[in-house]
Amino acid sequence: MNDSALSRRRFLTLTGGATLAAGLAACTGTGGDSAGAPAGGSGNGSKDLRLFTYEDNTTIGLLKEQVKQFDAQNGANTTVDSLPGSGAAVYPDKLRTELLGGKGPDVWRIWGGQIGAPFVKAKQAMDLSPYYQKYGWDSKINQAAVAGMTFDGVKGGMPFVALGIGAWYNKATWSKAGVTTPPKSYAELEEVNAKLVAAGITPLGTGGKYGWHVMRLFEYLLEVSAGPELHDKLLAGAESWDRPEVVTAFTNFKKWQDQKWMPEGAIGLDPADVELWYVQGKSAYTITGPWTEAAAIQSAEKKSADYGVFQLPTGHEPARHSGFVEGYMINARAGNPDLAAALLDFLNQPATVKALKVTASVVTGAEPDQATLPLSYEWSQGPGKQPFYTIQDQAFPKKEADQYFAIQSDVLQGKAGPADAARKMQDVVKAWKR
Amino acid sequence: MTSVVPPSVLTDAAVSGPVTSGPRRRAKGGIASTVLTSVAALVWISPLVLLVVTALRPLADFVAQGPLSWPGTFTFQNFADAWDIGNFATTYRNSTVLLILKVPVGVFLSAMLAYALAKLRIRFGAAIMYTVFLGLTIPIYITIVPVFVMARSAGLTDNLIGLIGPYLAFGIPFEVLVLQAFIRQIPDEIIEAAKIDGAGAWRIFLTVVLPLSAPALVTVFILDAVATWNEFLFALILLNSDASKTIPVGLLNFQGQFSNNSTGLAAGILIAVVPILIAYTFLQRWIVGGLTAGASKG
Amino acid sequence: MSRAKTRHGGLVAWGFAAPALLVYLGFLVYPALNSLWFSFTDWDGLSAGYNVVGLDNYTTMVDDPVVAQAAVNNLIWAVVTVVAPVLLGLALAVVLNGKVRGKPVLRLIFYTPAVLPLVSVASIWGWLYNPQYGAINAFLRAIGLDGLAQPWLGQDSTALGATMVAAIWLRVGFPMLLYLAALQSISADLYEAATVDGASRWQQFWHITMPGLRPAHYVVIALSVIESFKVFDLIYAMTYGGPGTATQVMGTWMYFNVFQYNQAGYGTAIAVVITVVAIAVSIPYVRSQTKEHAV
Repeated sequence: MNDSALSRRRFLTLTGGATLAAGLAACTGTGGDSAGAPAGGSGNGSKDLRLFTYEDNTTIGLLKEQVKQFDAQNGANTTVDSLPGSGAAVYPDKLRTELLGGKGPDVWRIWGGQIGAPFVKAKQAMDLSPYYQKYGWDSKINQAAVAGMTFDGVKGGMPFVALGIGAWYNKATWSKAGVTTPPKSYAELEEVNAKLVAAGITPLGTGGKYGWHVMRLFEYLLEVSAGPELHDKLLAGAESWDRPEVVTAFTNFKKWQDQKWMPEGAIGLDPADVELWYVQGKSAYTITGPWTEAAAIQSAEKKSADYGVFQLPTGHEPARHSGFVEGYMINARAGNPDLAAALLDFLNQPATVKALKVTASVVTGAEPDQATLPLSYEWSQGPGKQPFYTIQDQAFPKKEADQYFAIQSDVLQGKAGPADAARKMQDVVKAWKR
Repeated sequence: MTSVVPPSVLTDAAVSGPVTSGPRRRAKGGIASTVLTSVAALVWISPLVLLVVTALRPLADFVAQGPLSWPGTFTFQNFADAWDIGNFATTYRNSTVLLILKVPVGVFLSAMLAYALAKLRIRFGAAIMYTVFLGLTIPIYITIVPVFVMARSAGLTDNLIGLIGPYLAFGIPFEVLVLQAFIRQIPDEIIEAAKIDGAGAWRIFLTVVLPLSAPALVTVFILDAVATWNEFLFALILLNSDASKTIPVGLLNFQGQFSNNSTGLAAGILIAVVPILIAYTFLQRWIVGGLTAGASKG
Repeated sequence: MSRAKTRHGGLVAWGFAAPALLVYLGFLVYPALNSLWFSFTDWDGLSAGYNVVGLDNYTTMVDDPVVAQAAVNNLIWAVVTVVAPVLLGLALAVVLNGKVRGKPVLRLIFYTPAVLPLVSVASIWGWLYNPQYGAINAFLRAIGLDGLAQPWLGQDSTALGATMVAAIWLRVGFPMLLYLAALQSISADLYEAATVDGASRWQQFWHITMPGLRPAHYVVIALSVIESFKVFDLIYAMTYGGPGTATQVMGTWMYFNVFQYNQAGYGTAIAVVITVVAIAVSIPYVRSQTKEHAV
């Protein structure tokens, strides 16, 4: 590594890159001038913090209010910058550029799994183990969520929300098809689908434009055919994908398209459109998380009572669903990491979480409000307590996830058979783990 | 340095002037082409109906029925809401300031370089042309980290001024290529005549070349203004605080992690593009109605 | 080729050229050169360290099936999205420069798509292309062509074509504007004389308009070709490179590698290839311009 740092410096000198070299040195710490290097965000012991997040205008006001309280209690001065937007696309780009440019925020919000992983791997984010000890986060925070913010054994972030994925359905479409209760097994779910199609209703509203939405169906089918233990091993690359359970999952996956259990040309549809179909009655249900109650049902001025939610039946013990984590990381070069950690701990206090109107907190004592969000509450008290497996676009790095989606796309279009797909998937995982 | 403008130039241009109507003897084809073009225009504009309808319906109606349905009710409320959500009071000001600071300077500097390439027989002209092409072909994405570092060491992140350098640089190649092609078309005789009258290079540039290139200058001005108004990536990377954001970055406020305020976004987009369309309508008259390069080669 | 004359303009010419060149070199060429280096490394785009890998990134490209697919897509894209908008833009410019009612409005309409943010372009066309509810399939079914109704963006065979239709819609205003400007430099006298000689409108178009637009053709085509090689954001917004990798082009593949796959070294190498190819394509144009110049 030293070698390469040298050659970069030589190159920069050659191109007269004085400014760039200075900037990169400040950011990477290869400069050796630690005394004068402006560390991330703020100076040592400074009471200034900068928090970077991706909350939109519905929640950013609440966050700023809470941060103001923290500032008052701690004599701190925290700037909150937000870059809303369909997050996963532009937010990490911006964060990455800021970190490379040498400044970077002291604290940033990020998704868990493989979206957050690069920041920890590149040592841009601090190892938070001392603060886990100091604040007892391990005992306060849901363990599955902590796992989602642990990267190769490094506790690189503090989880803040853990969101579980279930089936959200429109009761009117179900009664139209003569279905009364949520299915208890995968076989029953198939029967429900058949009845819905017979009644002229598309069962599952899903769209594969970015891959991850259609993937929510596939990962469920894999959980059904492989069971919890094997599923986890597959995700970790500990078992080969070239096996009957995976072939079964791909076979079922294709069946959903062939039987018209999902929309025609689903692979090209935008999930932002399709996920609303169950509210509109264009499909019977969708696979999504509790945010849909506020963002779709109530946003359409419909009543929560006309909709329902259930955990997709897997037929295994424990009955798991897919889920993902979001949390906060601290800049490895933060000027005052103790203060930053205090801010994190503050954000995860049940009182703060409630004030932020978070519906899927990782700490107890901050459940969603039963009166305003009855379905989210119902989920949090039932399936929400069940363990979850890592949603697959966070289980794999983005590159492998995209290859995975491409294989799923080929299967749905009939360009690859199930056995073929399983074999290709094994190649992808093997190349990743090598 | 006697005469200000070589008189011959202006008269030449004026004589061959009434070009607005183009080829004049086309009255017969007028109706047919009007009908045909109008039908094409209807097809062209039809996708935009979706945008306008979306902007005019309540969000609840949009979410409950989907984009391809006729609204149950119409409302202008989205525009009022969008004005606040998109922070347009601020972003409008920032984008306008940027446009006013950047576009005229960019067009003027580019015209100077184009003039040098086209008429001043500059040395290494081909090398400069290739260098300029290089700028057109470089994907903007690979330059953002170095540009960010430069802006940071100059203390110009989160500052509109920091955007001007990169914006100028990314506009110049395109503008130079277009302008040099047009300036090349100005007959050498006009320039020679001005020279004989004692005009220096600067005077020729300002009083002969620029006026005679008016259609091209206006065209380039429009294209550059639109590009500046809509530029997203550098603004995203270099600006942080709400107070310094430009319109395209502000439009992100309509997209949440789990839901889009689609009706608000549609209204916000209309708020964002309507001024530029009005400006275009005025400016385009200058392309076809302005001064003209006069009789050139046939 | 008179060398003496070439040198004549010397200092003055450089005085005119210098400001733009300095800004351009400082804010574009210099940052780009700084990034060039990373194409010879395995930098992930985030870490402090990396290894120098020589030409590995370039050789990897040869075996990358997505690069092969992207290159083919780029070629198709270049041909279609250059030819169609240029021809349409030329036709529109000629018509809208002549005697047509409501010219300002028509010129506005054909240019409007180019002004829209791409996020809205992607949404609008996504809605139009929706297989079940979209306007396009609804239209096809209404006129009895049910068989032609397709999941346009949802299958490999039609996704690129569907995206190109949106690109044509978007891009036609650009050549139209440039041609409109260029038409102003063709003297009306020429048409007068030709009409007196009894030339038909087609003959006038071929013998007066087209030759008069020759310099504009060069510029329009050169700029359109370069644009087509660099295409990125429209495809990214409309299909995200999918289904699978069916609509990946070099521009999107570069972006995915640099920003999403943590392969900044490899992605930068792809960017270098895009630049080199586009420069190579521009050689004939620069030659044509500088040859004229030397005469």
